[in-house]
Amino acid sequence: MTDTHRHSALEDAQGIAFGVSMAALGMHILTHMGFVTGQTTGIAVLIAHLTGLPFPLVYFGVTLPFLGLGWRRMGWRFAAKTLITTAALSGMVALLPGWVELGRMDPVVAACLFGMLFGIAGLAVVRHGGSFGGISVLWLELQDRTGFAAGHAQLLSDLVIFALAAFILPWDILAYSFIGAAVFALFLAVNHRRDRYVAA
Amino acid sequence: MTDPKTHSLIEDAQGLAFGATMAAFGILVLTHLGLVTGQTAGLAVLISYATGWGFGPVFFAINIPFYLLGWWRMGWAFTVKTFVAVAALSGLTMVMPGWVSFATLNPVFGAVLFGFLSGAALLALFRHGASLGGIGIVALMLQDRLGWRAGWVQLGFDALLFAAALALRDLPTVALSFLGALVVNLVIAINHRRDRYIAT
Repeated sequence: MTDTHRHSALEDAQGIAFGVSMAALGMHILTHMGFVTGQTTGIAVLIAHLTGLPFPLVYFGVTLPFLGLGWRRMGWRFAAKTLITTAALSGMVALLPGWVELGRMDPVVAACLFGMLFGIAGLAVVRHGGSFGGISVLWLELQDRTGFAAGHAQLLSDLVIFALAAFILPWDILAYSFIGAAVFALFLAVNHRRDRYVAA
Repeated sequence: MTDPKTHSLIEDAQGLAFGATMAAFGILVLTHLGLVTGQTAGLAVLISYATGWGFGPVFFAINIPFYLLGWWRMGWAFTVKTFVAVAALSGLTMVMPGWVSFATLNPVFGAVLFGFLSGAALLALFRHGASLGGIGIVALMLQDRLGWRAGWVQLGFDALLFAAALALRDLPTVALSFLGALVVNLVIAINHRRDRYIAT
């Protein structure tokens, strides 16, 4: 068995491959239902919706500026893993419509599945030292410079995304999207514990 | 925050809910493609294909004898949690086709997807002190008592099931099923580490 506290490169690779696959399936469900979400992917969904540009391209573009910040704050490994993760997710989201075509879906179930898939994807990628775009790094930087709590900034930015979405989406879609985002946030809040998963 | 070493009741409940939902989603993918798999669920799928009975009731019934073994070797908490997970999976597989459907699904991607979904489901259930019954109990018992990796024990049982599956399905279907089962077992073999995820 490999070292308890340090993942091998192969272990990181399978963790990121798993996370990207689960996130891509979650995005596929989100797009199929016309839902929105928060964080980096949420910003990309909104921009793609407003401009008509393809989501994978927008998402990859949105994550690029945060790579430099991630490198400086979290080191080159984090930046490299984040780049691999976002590039792979962009590619997979572009390919997935050719592999999976969803039929009719119950919207509440779709929202819960999205939340769980994104939750497990986030957990796997973060535990293996990467991220899905690292806008949270911006909030960490903000906290360091101004003292404004990163958690609050993250919540506030999600509120802004949902407020903007309220202008372009019907209320029921917005409500289902909120359920999905809530499941995702709760999943991470309960399960992302460095004191329980001790490897890095 | 709760104690790092012990999950609270709510933490276990969300782990079980996540595990049962992901496993049910995995079974939906598996049966949509007509694939088979290993472990107790694989036995139930084979019986379901051979008799035309639904997977849910068959899976629930097969697991009943194993609860005694679970109670005796693993304690009542494990047995009760496993019963809850098995009952939830059985119920969810009966209602999920009404909630989620696929128009098209690439068989190779579907097989890998099944592997990831079931692997994540089992990992969550194991870490929260439950299993999906039967062979999982025997495998976990062997890992805890003799130090045999649960992934390898399950692979041995899977080999027997796949030999039987060759009599029921064509070779390409069994080959794809093998890919799915391989992914499940790799996810467990690499990631089920009590030294890394220390909470119970």
